Amino acid sequence: MSTAYEIFDYLSWFGLVGGGLFCIIGGIGLLRLPDFYCRTHGATITDTLGAGLILFGLFFQALKLMFDTQGNWVPDGWIVAVKIVFLGLLILLTSPTSGHALVKAAHADGTSWQEGDSDALSD
Amino acid sequence: MPFPTEVFLFLVLIATGFMVARATNLFAAAMLTGVFSLTSACLFTVMDAVDVAFTEAAVGGGFSTVLFLGALALTSRTEKKQPAKLYPFIIVLLTGIALIIGMINLKPYGDQNAPIHSHVTAKIKQKEWAAVKRSTRPESKKSTDTPQDKAVGLPNIVTSILGSYRGYDTLGETGVIFTAGVGVMLLLMGRRREDDGASDSGSTAMPSNRQEPALDEQESNPSGVEPEPSASGEQTGEEPIS
Amino acid sequence: MKSHMRMREIVVLRVVSRVLMPYILLFGLYVQFHGDFGPGGGFQAGVIFSAALILYGIIFGLDAVQRVFTPFAVEICMALGLLLYAGTGLVSFSKNMNYLDYDVFGSHGQHYGILLIEGGVGITVASTVLMIFYAFAGRWRVSQ
Repeated sequence: MSTAYEIFDYLSWFGLVGGGLFCIIGGIGLLRLPDFYCRTHGATITDTLGAGLILFGLFFQALKLMFDTQGNWVPDGWIVAVKIVFLGLLILLTSPTSGHALVKAAHADGTSWQEGDSDALSD
Repeated sequence: MPFPTEVFLFLVLIATGFMVARATNLFAAAMLTGVFSLTSACLFTVMDAVDVAFTEAAVGGGFSTVLFLGALALTSRTEKKQPAKLYPFIIVLLTGIALIIGMINLKPYGDQNAPIHSHVTAKIKQKEWAAVKRSTRPESKKSTDTPQDKAVGLPNIVTSILGSYRGYDTLGETGVIFTAGVGVMLLLMGRRREDDGASDSGSTAMPSNRQEPALDEQESNPSGVEPEPSASGEQTGEEPIS
Repeated sequence: MKSHMRMREIVVLRVVSRVLMPYILLFGLYVQFHGDFGPGGGFQAGVIFSAALILYGIIFGLDAVQRVFTPFAVEICMALGLLLYAGTGLVSFSKNMNYLDYDVFGSHGQHYGILLIEGGVGITVASTVLMIFYAFAGRWRVSQ
């Protein structure tokens, strides 16, 4: 059982650290990229890959809840894992959609590609 | 104690509050208000007040942001530049100082002897816990109806406090929500009915348009513009919501 | 608002909102009826339930929602929820008990009573939120 625990831990930490990394990258992109559409790209990275990988990591942490240290099956231990799977599905559905809607709305509003006004939203 | 999550969330709250106060772009201010609500929801979750966090996330983060954006669609996107005023700042400062002074006598967060853990709430909690335990163990279920420990017996104590112990309060809250809805209807929906009656009649099921067409004639026709939607839109769009 | 009118033509939004709508409604009902056991209750459930309808209204237009939930019906529901709550109290009143004493409903009276009043709260909150949305969205339509 301990090997499975270790594998779960490695996968989990891979997801958590990778998700955190993508969140930071998305944040930097949101601040530093030149125009609105590029910055939307940064924001949606945080939404999809960042949150998705963090949920991936948390899923393996939740898998560890299904067994106790002796490797016995814990009743109702699977609920957290299932909830995380549903959360991941929800995020995979909604985040790209919201990014899409944001860009479409900006396009309909007439935002240009090379609008170098980097403080349009922050001030 | 290392750097606790609560402190971090409070710092984020303070920063967001400053940003809301400083933002002149009203769109950004509305979104930051949503961020503020979400951060408070996180804070409530960390403090184990899941029900409050749920409400805050649903109402504060979701619905009021939609409402702010809806109101923004009716007004302009940016705030008018106005000089910094001393008077509101002093009021805010004094309120803050008063709150901090009031906070000094509070017990630390999580203290066993805090009033929330030693007065009537503690009794209610004990009673409810006993009832929940009894209901999960069916062999001792017979002795439920002794009048001393008559409890609501729901696993979520918040619901039993809100619904049963504080039932009158919740009735009042529902009344407040109802009143707020009626107020918004009276303020905003009347105008729509007039214009519907003038431009495209019959899409609403509202009776009693007796008085309102006259109002419509008075309000939107001084410039001689026909109350056709695209033309009268400029007028109604620039009116302040009274 | 041009984008508001055009939003139902964006196929991604249309498809995803159609996929998500029933689940949001279901989640609202879950929060409503699971409030006895976990976090939740009428207030949250009402907001979530109406959030699905607001999403539908934003994407498909105000008329599409109002065809299902007419403003008249929503107005009635606003009062109906509050009356359901207050009427629950009147039942115990009529049996010479205190107002809102749920023991009038029998041995599991507290559960039934809380179910009833949470239902009332949920109906009122959902229809009030929807009505506020109607009011604002109606103003948008006027100011086009």
